[in-house]
Amino acid sequence: MDFASRDDETLLHQIARASPDALSELYDRYGRLVYSVAYHATSDAHLAEEITQDTFLRVWQRAESYQSQNGKVATWLASIARHRAIDLYRRSQARGEGHAQALENVPEFELRDHALGLETSLEVEQSRQQVRQALNQLPPEQRQVLALAYFRGLTQEQIAHALALPLGTVKTRLRLGMQKLRQAVEGG
Amino acid sequence: MEHEHVLEQIPAYALGALDAEDVLQIRAHIERCAACRAELLAYQNAASMLALAAPQQEPPAGLKQQIMKKAALSPRKPAAGSFTVWRSLADRLYRLAPAWGLASLALVFLLVISNIWLWQRVVNLESKSKFQVVALAGTEVNPQASGVLVIGSDGMEGTLVVEHLPSLDAARQYQLWLIQDGKRTSGGVFSVDEGGYATLQIDSPASLLSFDAFGVTIEPYGGSSGPTGDKVLGGEL
Repeated sequence: MDFASRDDETLLHQIARASPDALSELYDRYGRLVYSVAYHATSDAHLAEEITQDTFLRVWQRAESYQSQNGKVATWLASIARHRAIDLYRRSQARGEGHAQALENVPEFELRDHALGLETSLEVEQSRQQVRQALNQLPPEQRQVLALAYFRGLTQEQIAHALALPLGTVKTRLRLGMQKLRQAVEGG
Repeated sequence: MEHEHVLEQIPAYALGALDAEDVLQIRAHIERCAACRAELLAYQNAASMLALAAPQQEPPAGLKQQIMKKAALSPRKPAAGSFTVWRSLADRLYRLAPAWGLASLALVFLLVISNIWLWQRVVNLESKSKFQVVALAGTEVNPQASGVLVIGSDGMEGTLVVEHLPSLDAARQYQLWLIQDGKRTSGGVFSVDEGGYATLQIDSPASLLSFDAFGVTIEPYGGSSGPTGDKVLGGEL
């Protein structure tokens, strides 16, 4: 069966039927996305590799658990990786490792479009452009707060402490950033 | 919590940026408010899109092959799962109390498997053993669930064993909480097999004997900084 032309949900359906070719195609589409999220959430290539493996093996075992209300398959995969990465990051915090890392190596969102060769579905690419455009229009301080929350899993209080800002300021920046992001995503 | 106040907090909630106390209050409101649930769904969708703006990083060349190889070695059906779980438990119990002898550990092992008056008998063993055992009972969410926490004599090692917990979807896991004076520290996350069994080697920043109580909740995959989901198991030291 040629999976390259199948949509993402069909791939998951086939993975649930234990098709390794479908898993292979899913990795080809979203392996880089998952690895990228894991890498920037941990700033560690080895951990990113481990998290990416865990994510796809988890999908291999539990593909049938995906539901469309979970969002797009791409972002569902990224969400699994993100939560795992944040858990590992918090454990390193508990052991006293690299609290300074909270501010160091926090990535900035990719704002420009540039071709990297093979890519995902047209729908995902369109969504990517929408998100980048929305983030491009945000003030840098709002992007910074969103990045700390998204990649480091920091709460508003933790962000306020890390940036030495009033909690109210952080709450406002996060809320406004998310509102604009939502408008862009829904606006199409 | 007032509706307007909740609406303001929903974007942060969707991003996972609220403290645990705020999360609990907002969840209580959202369960009663369809409008807020719709708002949350919209913001969760927006938050999930941030992944698409992560700077692209090329994974290692051999990573796909590793994944496919492991997938080939991992059967999708759970036939061998339960036996593997109990073998793993036996190994961990042996490491906890090697001086106790294989015969005593085998007794504990058989009691756990048989599940006949499990908790009472394991607790009776506690007085004769060099480790402590905490029974965890199911809550109203899953009354049929149960668990046991086996803590080594110095408190620095512990193993959680659970049974009859339902499998969760790929985006959620169970999380163990170590509770002291109301403060909750994560003891790790785990998933159950198709039979509802799991074991967890506990990752604790301090002696397990220093905690007052233990609980298990349902959380996003990878865990949370504080309990946000339904509590399924609980017990006191």
